[in-house]
Amino acid sequence: MPDLVIADHLSKWYGQVIGLNDVSVTVPAGITGLLGPNGAGKSTFMKLITGQLKPSKGGITVLGEPIWQNPGLYNRIGFCPEQDAFYERMTGREWVTALVRLNGVSDTEAAAMAARAIEDVELTEAADKKIGAYSKGMRQRIKMAQALAHNPELLILDEPLSGMDPIARRKAIRMIKDWGRAGKGVIVSSHILHEIESMTANILLINQGRILAEGNVHQIRDLIDEHPHTVHIRAEQTRALAREFLGHDDVLSLKFEEGAVVVQTGRPDAFYARLTDLAASGAHGAIHEVTSPDDNLQAVFQYLVKS
Amino acid sequence: MNAPARPIPPAPGLFASAIRIFDLSLGQMLWSRRSVFLGLLLGGPVVLAVVLRIVDTLHASGFRVNGAAVNGGTVFGMMIWLLFIRFIVPVLGVFYGTSLIADEVEDKTITYLFTRPIPRSAVLLGKYIAYLVCTVLLVLPSVMLVFFLIVPTAGGSVAAAFPGLAADLGMLVVGLASYGAVFALVGTRLKRPLVAGLVFAFGWEPAVLLFPGYLKRLTVAYYMQALVTHEMPQDSSVSMLLQIFHEVPSVTVSLLALGAIVGVALWLAGRSVERREYVLEQ
Repeated sequence: MPDLVIADHLSKWYGQVIGLNDVSVTVPAGITGLLGPNGAGKSTFMKLITGQLKPSKGGITVLGEPIWQNPGLYNRIGFCPEQDAFYERMTGREWVTALVRLNGVSDTEAAAMAARAIEDVELTEAADKKIGAYSKGMRQRIKMAQALAHNPELLILDEPLSGMDPIARRKAIRMIKDWGRAGKGVIVSSHILHEIESMTANILLINQGRILAEGNVHQIRDLIDEHPHTVHIRAEQTRALAREFLGHDDVLSLKFEEGAVVVQTGRPDAFYARLTDLAASGAHGAIHEVTSPDDNLQAVFQYLVKS
Repeated sequence: MNAPARPIPPAPGLFASAIRIFDLSLGQMLWSRRSVFLGLLLGGPVVLAVVLRIVDTLHASGFRVNGAAVNGGTVFGMMIWLLFIRFIVPVLGVFYGTSLIADEVEDKTITYLFTRPIPRSAVLLGKYIAYLVCTVLLVLPSVMLVFFLIVPTAGGSVAAAFPGLAADLGMLVVGLASYGAVFALVGTRLKRPLVAGLVFAFGWEPAVLLFPGYLKRLTVAYYMQALVTHEMPQDSSVSMLLQIFHEVPSVTVSLLALGAIVGVALWLAGRSVERREYVLEQ
């Protein structure tokens, strides 16, 4: 498979604001993680490689072709955007089918492709419910279904795990890895290193509109582990969860917010593994949503830029 | 996940894509808050027709406009021109036309449509067709109710007026198509399209129609006048004065001009959508 994306001195400005600054990078076949704090330029890069934005300077090719004003290329690309935006009155099945129809397939084929994609993201039972009634995790999954329904060569996922509960997160990670193993290209963005690391070792680090590092960056991981990692957990029984967390050394602090517990951990990998097991067992009630602010990553990036 | 490789279908053409966008958009448009609000607005002429019908039933003295006695058919014709063509159709055009793409941008759903293998202009065209169907479905019941409430009053005849109803409905469709296309262009080009659209429909058009010269040809209403089949009562001195400046193009010229307006406006709007970057707020 050829390189997925080649950016050549790529820049993007929004008026006086720089979104991406003179980036030259080649994204190889396989799974690549795009890691950076909010405002680092991840979304700008994602929008450029999906042809939503036109480069201010430099060039970009996706699967060997320029992407801007090249709609034919979208038959080979599936894009799962970051924003939580839907046609709320449609059912998941109607929505995915309607979008796949835009790929030029017949109605029957579109229905079959949508059904298969919905099955892949394990949403078949809820497929005929209105999207407006979906939980955050279901909304993320139906968004992924519309991206992969037409069986694209390259899947571009912008913060796909955001807001998912631990079990859905684990399933989504497994699905993305399966996709990579099936020989498809995947570019996935996140501001959480361990999420990216659980899918791939091939990482692009981006900050302030520049690519800081690319390739296998295990040393970055150690650096990030030195900084406390904050996890926001929205759950049914926050106090019971808190009691459970306090029994482990890696939990540095915790506080309660409305319907949620916010934990600082020194070992995010161990913490997330435990959290997934807790969610699966249901021992302390349902865990609805897990999010992680990017303050800790921002601190690491500031350190990296200074050093 | 591991679906077998399939041959890549050819990207659908402009019109095939537009029809698929239409399928996707019509339901959203029909059940939007905008349609509910404008549906209420379309209840206004019906309420007025009910009041006129009650007045006619109670007093049986007929209607007088500018001192002249008129039958129900003439009152219906005036309502079609003054309420529907000069007010409701431009309002529908402004509110729907300017938001064809803007709604998708505001709702952040435009990404799903712009990352599919279809021309971006097909999104505009499909949504424009959905607007046309949606507004016709909104206007039609209101016009029909007004027709059956008003025409039989004051000596009017439903049977005699019925052929004219088809012409009126055709005129409304032409009006909706023309204003919708103009405001779709405004919506893709300007930052405050709603304000610009309202100024065009209720500032520019009524103002330039009052004066002689060529400026009135830069309005939609000028060409719409020629399509009105009803005689308007012209007994007042103001009406007489306006008649001096009144020039109406032929039906053929009007239809050709309105067709050109729709074609050019949609082409320019489509071009604008193809070239523009839509930066969604994070």
